[in-house]
Amino acid sequence: MAALLRGLRAGRTLRGLCSVVSAPPAANPQCSGLTRGIHCAALRLQDESKSDKPPPSSSSTTHHEHYQTHSAEQASTSDPAAEEASRPNTSYQDQSGEQGEEYETEEQLQVRILNAALEFVPLHGWSMEAIAAGAETLDLSSASTGMFYNGAGDLVLHFVSHCNSQLTEILAEQHKQVQLGQAEQKRTADFLRDAVETRLRMHIPYIESWPQAMSILLLPHNIPNSLKHLSTLVDDIWFYAGDRSTDMNWYTKRAALTGIYNTTELVMVQDSSTDFQDTWNFLDNRIQDVVNMAGTAKQVQSTGEAVVQGLMGAAFTLKNLTGLNQKR
Amino acid sequence: MSNCIGPVMIRQCLKCRGPLQLSSRAYSVLPPPRDSEEKEMLDRMLRVDHAGEYGANRIYAGQMAVLGRSRTGPLIQEMWDQEKKHLEKFNEILAENRVRPTALLPLWNIAGFVLGASSALLGKEGAMACTVAVEESISEHYNSQIRALMEKDPERYTELLQVSNKEFRDDEMEHHDTGLEHDAESIPGYWLLKKRYTTGCKAAIYVSQRV
Repeated sequence: MAALLRGLRAGRTLRGLCSVVSAPPAANPQCSGLTRGIHCAALRLQDESKSDKPPPSSSSTTHHEHYQTHSAEQASTSDPAAEEASRPNTSYQDQSGEQGEEYETEEQLQVRILNAALEFVPLHGWSMEAIAAGAETLDLSSASTGMFYNGAGDLVLHFVSHCNSQLTEILAEQHKQVQLGQAEQKRTADFLRDAVETRLRMHIPYIESWPQAMSILLLPHNIPNSLKHLSTLVDDIWFYAGDRSTDMNWYTKRAALTGIYNTTELVMVQDSSTDFQDTWNFLDNRIQDVVNMAGTAKQVQSTGEAVVQGLMGAAFTLKNLTGLNQKR
Repeated sequence: MSNCIGPVMIRQCLKCRGPLQLSSRAYSVLPPPRDSEEKEMLDRMLRVDHAGEYGANRIYAGQMAVLGRSRTGPLIQEMWDQEKKHLEKFNEILAENRVRPTALLPLWNIAGFVLGASSALLGKEGAMACTVAVEESISEHYNSQIRALMEKDPERYTELLQVSNKEFRDDEMEHHDTGLEHDAESIPGYWLLKKRYTTGCKAAIYVSQRV
């Protein structure tokens, strides 16, 4: 289906190109060479494919438009010359703004459709209707939703992984700032709080329908993927928070953060305070709990060690007192 | 197509969380992984190596707990110190490459200590027999890793091969020979003991690769 549409568009661009080439260059005093002509046509074709207007049917109209783009161009003659040199003949292969790629893979097309579909989620919820509406804004038939075997699950999983990559970019940027000395390293608790808050704020535009999305993620065939996204999210956050542990702490830290994230997400879904202030307070409290627990665990361990030492000392003293320690 | 990077490819590159801009060291023992398959293979190798060194550390700790004050104490202490260095190196590599440590670490903690202590209770020869068996399994394991990496792409993994595998494997072989020198074979039932230890090690390696 997508290939058919691309073929139609290619046909349109070829027709446009032919009509330009057939216009006599000698009649146009301003057009100095054939390459300029093709370049002008290419610019016009780019505009045309972006706005999806029907191609000019008569050569005279073509001629006028050709003049117009060319005269507009005369104002900045240096730039076109430079541009010409860098992309001489390939610009007429440009299709719908794909920066020089010859074609896009199915995966890229799916990503584009799902991105467009996100706009319609507030209206249609996380469903095939939203995907169909998104496909239609890209001038594809709504039957292209047949590509998505998992239906709404695909949309939700795409959104989740998109948000996770955004968060990773933000955290990497912050990390770079710290390494360059332009920012202070945050305390772990603050870092975790900010990271979780940033990530959960990405749900705000879709918060009305988020319970539906959560339930879709809990469907049995989606659970492996949603768990994978959750684990990469939590691993990324801890990595940027500075965790480099290689023992059981690796597991306990991630388990704790997963618990915090999931419970905060649930709180957020039914929060009605302004700007979700209740949710952020809840998050603060949970993180404080974990920090307290870690501190308590450490205290318990050192107390235990001290007690063992005390007991061993007491046993030794007893042995001395009863004379068991003497060498006979 | 190679000269244009669309947003999808950038995202995919970000998903492949190699140590690109995150490592502050100029060099890294591992090359940044090309794809998720390679990352998984390297992850598995490093995970089991780390678990192995951790276990060996605990085995020597067990042996020292029993034989620490005997004549063989200093010898075991020396071998233990070398294992500690190996473990430190692997901790570094794991942290740098964001490899998940095996979830069975507490199990190896206890099992290793019990193994070391129980073998030391059989006397000096018992401890040496345990050392010989364990070091033999570990050397065998490192050798098969070296073979696998050389088969794939020796140049890509030279650092890893040199530092972790060849150096450490040589150390382990040295421990093995030390064990043999110190009358490991004189213990009655040596072959049976050795068989049991090596089978246990193989099972541990297999499980640690996956869990």
